[in-house]
Amino acid sequence: MSTVTIEPLVINFRRENPRFRRKTKLCMSCSLNHSAKLFLSSGSTFISNFNAPRVLLHTIKASSSSTETDMLADTFESTDVFYKQTFALKRTETVEGKIIIKLDQAKDQRSWQLTVGCNIPGKWILHWGVNYIDDIGSVWDQPPDNMIPPGSITVKDYAIETPLKKSSESEIFYEVKIDFKPNSGIAAINFVLKDEETGTWYQHRGIDFKVPLVDYLQDNGNLVGANKGFSIWPGWPLGQLSKMLLKSKVSDTEGQDKSSWSRDPKQENKRLEGFYAEQPISKEVTFDNSVSVSVKKCPETAKNLLYLETDLPADVVVHWGVCREDAKEWEISAAPYPPETIVLKKKALRTLIQPKERRNGCWRLFTVDKELEGFLFVLKLNENTWLKCVGNDFYIRFSSSSTLPVKPGHGTSKDPQISVKSVETNQEASQTAHTDGIINEIRNLVSGISSEKGRETKTKEVQEHILQEIEKLAAEAYSIFRSSIPTFSEEAVVESATPLSTVKISSGTGSGFEILCQGFNWESHKSGRWYMELKEKAEDLSSLGFTVIWLPPPTDSVSPEGYMPRDLYNLNSRYGSCDELKDLVKKFHEVGIKVLGDVVLNHRCAQYQNQNGIWNIFGGRLNWDDRAVVADDPHFQGRGNKSSGDSFHAAPNIDHSQEFVRKDLKEWLHWLRNDIGYDGWRLDFVRGFWGGYIKDYIDATEPYFAVGEYWDSLSYTFGEMDHNQDAHRQRIIDWINATNGTAGAFDVTTKGILHGALEKCEYWRLSDKKGKPPGVVGWWPSRAVTFIENHDTGSTQGHWRFPRGKEMQGYAYILTHSGTPSVFYDHLFSQYRSEIASLISLRRRNQIHCRSTVKITKAERDVYAAIVDEKVAVKIGPGYYEPPSGPQRWSSAFEGRDYKVWEASLVTMVHKVH
Amino acid sequence: MEVSASYISDSRFIVVAKNDSGNILYPRPNHSVCFGQITSRTQKPGLRFTTKAMRCEPARPGHVSDSHSVTRFKLLDSVRLHVGLPMDAVSDSNTVNHARAIAAGLKALKLLGVEGVELPVWWGIVEKEVNGKYEWSGYIALAEMIQKAGLKLHVSLCFHASKQPKIPLPRWVSMIGESQFSIFFADKSRQPCKECLSLAVDDLSVLDGKTPMQVYQEFCESFKSAFSPFMGSTITGVTMGLGPDGELRYPSHHCLAKSTNMSGVGEFQCYDKNMLNLLKQHAEATGNPLWGLGGPHNAPDYDQPPNSNNFFSDYGGSWESPYGDFFLSWYSSQLISHGDRLLSLASSTFRDTEVTVYGKVPLMYTWYRTRSHPSELTTGFYNVANRDGYERVAEMFARNSCKMILPGMDLSDEHQPRESLSSPELLLAQIRTACRKHGIKVSGQNSYVSGAPGGFEQIKKNLLSDNVVELFTYQRMGAYFFSPEHFPSFTNFVRSFNQPILHSDDLPMEQKQVVEPPSMSSESSIKMQTA
Repeated sequence: MSTVTIEPLVINFRRENPRFRRKTKLCMSCSLNHSAKLFLSSGSTFISNFNAPRVLLHTIKASSSSTETDMLADTFESTDVFYKQTFALKRTETVEGKIIIKLDQAKDQRSWQLTVGCNIPGKWILHWGVNYIDDIGSVWDQPPDNMIPPGSITVKDYAIETPLKKSSESEIFYEVKIDFKPNSGIAAINFVLKDEETGTWYQHRGIDFKVPLVDYLQDNGNLVGANKGFSIWPGWPLGQLSKMLLKSKVSDTEGQDKSSWSRDPKQENKRLEGFYAEQPISKEVTFDNSVSVSVKKCPETAKNLLYLETDLPADVVVHWGVCREDAKEWEISAAPYPPETIVLKKKALRTLIQPKERRNGCWRLFTVDKELEGFLFVLKLNENTWLKCVGNDFYIRFSSSSTLPVKPGHGTSKDPQISVKSVETNQEASQTAHTDGIINEIRNLVSGISSEKGRETKTKEVQEHILQEIEKLAAEAYSIFRSSIPTFSEEAVVESATPLSTVKISSGTGSGFEILCQGFNWESHKSGRWYMELKEKAEDLSSLGFTVIWLPPPTDSVSPEGYMPRDLYNLNSRYGSCDELKDLVKKFHEVGIKVLGDVVLNHRCAQYQNQNGIWNIFGGRLNWDDRAVVADDPHFQGRGNKSSGDSFHAAPNIDHSQEFVRKDLKEWLHWLRNDIGYDGWRLDFVRGFWGGYIKDYIDATEPYFAVGEYWDSLSYTFGEMDHNQDAHRQRIIDWINATNGTAGAFDVTTKGILHGALEKCEYWRLSDKKGKPPGVVGWWPSRAVTFIENHDTGSTQGHWRFPRGKEMQGYAYILTHSGTPSVFYDHLFSQYRSEIASLISLRRRNQIHCRSTVKITKAERDVYAAIVDEKVAVKIGPGYYEPPSGPQRWSSAFEGRDYKVWEASLVTMVHKVH
Repeated sequence: MEVSASYISDSRFIVVAKNDSGNILYPRPNHSVCFGQITSRTQKPGLRFTTKAMRCEPARPGHVSDSHSVTRFKLLDSVRLHVGLPMDAVSDSNTVNHARAIAAGLKALKLLGVEGVELPVWWGIVEKEVNGKYEWSGYIALAEMIQKAGLKLHVSLCFHASKQPKIPLPRWVSMIGESQFSIFFADKSRQPCKECLSLAVDDLSVLDGKTPMQVYQEFCESFKSAFSPFMGSTITGVTMGLGPDGELRYPSHHCLAKSTNMSGVGEFQCYDKNMLNLLKQHAEATGNPLWGLGGPHNAPDYDQPPNSNNFFSDYGGSWESPYGDFFLSWYSSQLISHGDRLLSLASSTFRDTEVTVYGKVPLMYTWYRTRSHPSELTTGFYNVANRDGYERVAEMFARNSCKMILPGMDLSDEHQPRESLSSPELLLAQIRTACRKHGIKVSGQNSYVSGAPGGFEQIKKNLLSDNVVELFTYQRMGAYFFSPEHFPSFTNFVRSFNQPILHSDDLPMEQKQVVEPPSMSSESSIKMQTA
């Protein structure tokens, strides 16, 4: 049972004379079984009399029914109660329960019995009818008379309504049993369940429940109607089956549809087989409860004793305070407090009420100084449910004179209401209230410093809380501003469009106008002189329009490609010597290209074995021992902490939580940056550790650009890629977030979706359900580094090769869209070169950048089209598309196999700062 | 221990506490309250607790203080922080644009401990249709939101137009301009700049029989009465719009913003009919009638570098000739007189209120490292190698008891393109020096809404410098401001105001602070809000 929604409700509340206490108690005991109408039936003519003779109480108690009574309550009642008030509480809960359907053989072995039950309280009616074997169609019929249970009503000539009765079974079932003979010619029993209290019909997936009786006769041939019996049970999870069933039968291989059926082994040889099934249902149930407060004086201590009791289920918490005047300013009462009381910083006390022994409900006794004017409280049922009195605190006023009745205080004079407030943070109203609350909290905190001596205040927590609140507000503001402010404005001016005059550089984006080249493939190490070979191509790459090049991992490595680094300070590798590398970097700088170093921070190969013969002692300048290795890979017996990410199993994973490791790595990165001249980083296998460490490294080395490889699998169902890859891109976004946006990430999602779209001609995949690009680039374009291939996915490894022959469609997509595109070396030096060059030059000419706006104009089976920044239109796929003529005039820039790009002319856009 | 807290104003708390032995606790910067023995001036071990951690620990006696850092955050304490609201916070139909976002934003700012917000109020929105018919409802609604959020409000009266977002001049003014180009500034190709009225018409009855000065005056009066419930309480400052972009300047670079070449020198804007008349009169009066026929013939175009023609050449350029001096003196003094007219109008209008009047001066930092400072010259500041052009500006501000707003606090020299020979830092220092000399308080702003590289560091550096900045207005709330790319760094920036460089636990108790409690109150006020 769980609370889902709570609605405010209006209900009576009254003062009651102790004389009527018995009635209340009766009600409480009734509420044991959650019967719904307690207070509604308990009348509304209570008399106020606060000085009832106490003798009466005893009498009443004596006559109070069979239930055990709390001793304390007794003694309390027997003394001088000068005030007593009962507040009715009405709340609704969404109660989850189940409908059970059971078919089994009656005791006489000849007839059968269908049992329909429900474990939620209510006035349940089974509305049912049958299908006969020789009947055609699915219309219900009246069952034979002998099948109709007593107490049933016939509805027209096709249905029966039979009320469910309380069952003797322990789980508070309401049930109805229908007996029938197996040979009565009935093919199926149809029914729906009706709750007469609320008038709700409970159906099965929008249609009637149908219990087939003839399925097991021979075959399906003579099954009647469109609704074949089994079709209504598909896919019920096994877990829903009662434990009473035999598991061996459940896992029968009858197929998915029948998996939830189980047959009673005893019935195996019969034509009809028994079964038991359950279906979850939920219902809004109203609960009437009450809270009553009695106050008496304790002459010995000059205190008021306040007895609070309620029939609410256990775990009720009372937030309470006292007040001196009618102002109802909460104050904290002087100790002693009841057990299980906590002092809250908002000047309230929180007390858990104690469940009554062997009875429903709970109680608590509070002691309050006599000179205090009143007692304030609210009840808290769970995180979201607060019970209040007409939206206000419950207020109990201690009358100074016991002869006077309670002054009609606020909320008690007219017909009072109890409202139940549900706190939902996503609602704007409560959001506001929440924030105001925080501001108040701050104020309280300030005055709290002064009023509560030496009390431990959880200021830090409050601070955290406020920061979170600020973030929430900022996110809200961001989402509204973002959706309403266009980044670009249209203006008919003659000047050509220009980029931001002062370009903001950040390591997550570079200038925002970057175009990456992956400057190697899986074979590049083979010649032993890659640095020199690449140097010759530097001018060429620059003239193609690349602004950043990604060089292979430079360190000493166990594998020739460099991804199994060993001595980090040894930069002589299969790609060339350290000096050649420096020379290459210098060359690229000369031609205006920034250089990314491929740094492998996740793992590192050891040079020595430990005493157990495990390779986990490192060599070279960073001669770490096994404390630098994460503890959770048994292969390497690390003594560090557990890994903060996924494990890479081929080498010891480095424990970045170690201060010395981070310090050494930062120093190393500094060295690469300063001595070698790298401008930024391509971060290998960042899944392996927490993104926050990356942020640390990036903050320390301030790269011009950084991109991480967060590569995990997309989601597939039955070998078919899901349209919605939000979870996949979310993981990448989460990582970027963990780096605080200081690094971008390769947009693996986009690559995967392009695969899906191009391979099977499903171009509709290229728009997500909000009409945005479905990859990381649709959610956080400035941090998405789009690519279609790299040394792992393609090259000679081909782990996840882009659909062959369709590479240019991929490039037409990534080079015209937002995000930072990355071009793979192999493609650059292939037949695609000139087409890629044209796309890059078009991108640069139109100043498309990582934050450009992408408007998807078509996403259909065979064609996808988008307009970017109102300046470039692109289509990919074999289908037809022409950009619409609007303010822009489109002229075709060029086209290739299954793609085409256009540029806007005449009217140009201006991008400005203001 | 006996503690009392008082709420001095909306945003300030002072906590004064006494412990059992009579020691007084004063609020300290950096979220802490310390016990100090006020009677003896020696440091003794005592109790102190920080509200951050709320723990009591003995202070270390004899801890040597870093006086430098103390000075640093004392200065930071005295800076009030504001954030600009979106330029188009009120739409031209007088509704509050994206009110929900602004409401959330205001709350976030309040929680962060920001003191107030800056709100541009546009002539083109308030007095849109007819002269004398003012529609303040949108702005009043916004002011109420701000008041409710417990923030201060600084209003910028904008008598210019904005291109992005597009906020034009009042329609009735534009209509007049359609037939009468001469109410606008014009460059040497006689292209009018329709963003604001030429200063030459200030006192000419060109607006339906009224002079622009009268129209501005009436606008200010109307503003004052419409917002009288907020004056001095919620509204603490008003910036008087002085020209293009609200700044005291000629629109010398108005065609440049679109060009790729940011380092262009701009053009003189003295070619509208009325400016030329004034120039002619002046030339005749000084005995050089031929000099009054037009502006310098050899000045470069908007986006050209200085040396593309002779006027600005560093050596032997016409700017150094007697003609150059004649023209530049006149051109710059016209601007200063214009500023003087407007600021005296504003300060007399608002004299009986408690709001402070501000004016904004642009930071024309490109080519600052040349001798001729061409960008400043075209903009109207006769500031060259051997002449300080800001002295007279500062003097004019002082005369009107106005405070000066300076943008560009986020700009650092190292991020400027080397070829533009620019120096925002040096120019800023020069202007601030002039201000200090004349006792003018400076209020800072950042120039780049989308973040200058290293902007926050530079701002902090500027705020910590010896020349005091009393108010810093961060520009500007909007999508970028709240984006995940920007907002966290802004939060850090604000928190660094509140939590200076040293951690509280590293700070020694200091006599100096004990005897100067009032100077700490603003710090503690921020602390209370953000704690």
